[in-house]
Amino acid sequence: MTSVTTPAARTENERRRTGSLAWHVGALLLLAVVLYPVIWVFGASFKPSKDIIASIDLLPTEPVWANFSGLADGISGISIGSFFGNSLMYAVLAVAGVVLSSSLTAYAFAKIRFVGRNLLFTLMIGTLLLPYHVLLIPQYVLFRNLGYIDTLVPLVAGKFLATEAFFVFLMVQFMRGLPRELDEAAKLDGCGHLRTYWSIVLPLSRPAIITSAIFTFINAWNDFMGPLIYLNTPSKYTVSLGLMMFRDQEGISNYGSMIAMSLVALVPVIAFFMAFQRYLIDGMATSGLKG
Amino acid sequence: MRTSRNVERRTILKAAGATAATLGLAATTGCGGDSGTSADGTVTIRYAWWGGEPRTIAIKKTIALFEKKYPKIKIKPEFTDYEAFWEKFQTQASGGNPPDVFQNAVTFLRKYDKRGVLMDLKTQADAGNLNLENFRNGVLANGQVDDKQVGIPVGANTMALVIDLKAFKKAGVEAKFGWTWDEYFTALQTIQDKLKIAGDTGYFSIMYLYDLYLRQNGKAFYTDSDLGFTEDDLTQWWEDGYKRVKSGLVADPKKIEQVKPKSGLSAGLAASEFTWDNFSIRYQGEGESDYGLAPIPTTNGKDTGQYLGSLMLSAFSGTKHPKEVAQFIDFMVHDPEAGKIMGYDRGILSTTEQYDAFKPTDPNNQGVAAYEDQVAKAGVLGKITPHPSGADVIEAAFLRIGGEVAQGKTKPADAAKALFSEAKAAFAG
Repeated sequence: MTSVTTPAARTENERRRTGSLAWHVGALLLLAVVLYPVIWVFGASFKPSKDIIASIDLLPTEPVWANFSGLADGISGISIGSFFGNSLMYAVLAVAGVVLSSSLTAYAFAKIRFVGRNLLFTLMIGTLLLPYHVLLIPQYVLFRNLGYIDTLVPLVAGKFLATEAFFVFLMVQFMRGLPRELDEAAKLDGCGHLRTYWSIVLPLSRPAIITSAIFTFINAWNDFMGPLIYLNTPSKYTVSLGLMMFRDQEGISNYGSMIAMSLVALVPVIAFFMAFQRYLIDGMATSGLKG
Repeated sequence: MRTSRNVERRTILKAAGATAATLGLAATTGCGGDSGTSADGTVTIRYAWWGGEPRTIAIKKTIALFEKKYPKIKIKPEFTDYEAFWEKFQTQASGGNPPDVFQNAVTFLRKYDKRGVLMDLKTQADAGNLNLENFRNGVLANGQVDDKQVGIPVGANTMALVIDLKAFKKAGVEAKFGWTWDEYFTALQTIQDKLKIAGDTGYFSIMYLYDLYLRQNGKAFYTDSDLGFTEDDLTQWWEDGYKRVKSGLVADPKKIEQVKPKSGLSAGLAASEFTWDNFSIRYQGEGESDYGLAPIPTTNGKDTGQYLGSLMLSAFSGTKHPKEVAQFIDFMVHDPEAGKIMGYDRGILSTTEQYDAFKPTDPNNQGVAAYEDQVAKAGVLGKITPHPSGADVIEAAFLRIGGEVAQGKTKPADAAKALFSEAKAAFAG
């Protein structure tokens, strides 16, 4: 006997199906809106330079490689690879600095009781409220007097000294959530603070650390003001400064190469995110009591 | 588990070590380059400019030429685009570390003179390191502030009207020397009627054009320390402008915004646009039509109010090598070979040595040269309008507020009031 579905059940099924269909179509439409600029950049990078500002078509009628092959020649005598190398150096140092210094600082705030802890913590959070532009000139003068202008030091020194208060805060909050029993057990086994930090707290804080690392990498990669102010020699410029060199207010801007380069500049950021986001999810899925 | 943790630690330690080493390396280079003089007496000076790739390539060639002639002087180039340049310069100037020599413009002279950043190059001229002779059409005065020579012009340019030659021809109208504003707007009306495109892209938001209009009427945009016109003057100017937007004589500002960064003229939205003559190269590159330079409309049938503006080279007052800096500027503005390499990239070459050495071969540069020649011969060139400290901020405010008027967001009277209050703040800052 074949099962007979009542009309009521059928409509119920259909409604569910159309509902899910509508939901997916809606989500896809939303995605199209969000991705539109990316698709535009992608399409534009294959257009002749003149068409980029002239034609409104999303995709090129006749794709050309000229924009990408033009990148190989560099700009104003500087190779594109040098911009990428400098940005990578900056981003990697920034990530190393933030991860090491912020986690150590956060350990102190989260796990050690000491006099003035709350006051210092409040002060640290207070530094978040200082606008960047207030610090700009005093910092510039400081690094100039130290002789560090035109090096990466002004850009990364602060990162090694846990001045990124937001990430310290993030890690403190995370470490406070780790069970107290774990460090007590470590203490019983004879661990000092450094050992507890290194062997217990740091591995368990992986999600917070990965989050900080991803954001630090993206921030450093996209940073414009810092490199603009501190780097003078064009061969030391980062990608964000290199992109500006394609602009020409008084003549003809090289939009083709600019767009092609911004597309290429997205690759490391996406790659970094892809490489680490699985740890992020992995970290959140597992509890602190592993192994 | 244990071993893997050890490996991890080792890699991390290695990474930390590498980091420390890099920081150390960076530190050594940082200490080396500060004084600018090395053991064998070679002097290094920093030279900064803004501009596109063609300019950078040309300047690098002239630097190579200079270094060959002065083997004891090394030039360290620093370059970026216009906005980034001034953002960076502001921090550098406040931090006491601007480049030794840099490209400068009239709008910034008083601002940085007031802060003591600019060197008075007269002292170097008196010492024989810099020649202040042979400048054409009195452009040397563009670099003077209160009897000080704080900038040496590298080129000269003037405001011009860029027109779509094909559109003008098709509509049967002609731009004539000495034509009046009425004649100009009548011509635009004919173009609008016959070709169904606007006449102009938005003339009333351009500070330098309003300056010319005021000069034609015995005023100017600035006095030595203030605005040279009244709120009523400006209200009138913007009211007329807005009327022409509504009638379609001036292109719809929304459409102009949509085609950016392309100009409304090269996008075919309008048939004319006011701009500096040396910027005119962009239209040929962006648009499909033919473009040419036309005379500025006048009030009395003769005076255009035009003057020559300049990009120039300035020196930092605190440089450790004033003599070498002066020699470098001298070379850049007088050497015929350097002039040949630079061409009209920063305006018509300012000294007779360079002007005579370079003969333009491309139609755009020939057109610019012919235009400035024509203006000079007509005898309409006047003395440059003074640019008080804050002129750069006011120029941007004029463009922005004028744009709001064009879109009908702000009433002309309110807009004029807003500009006056922003100007007051800019003069004080």
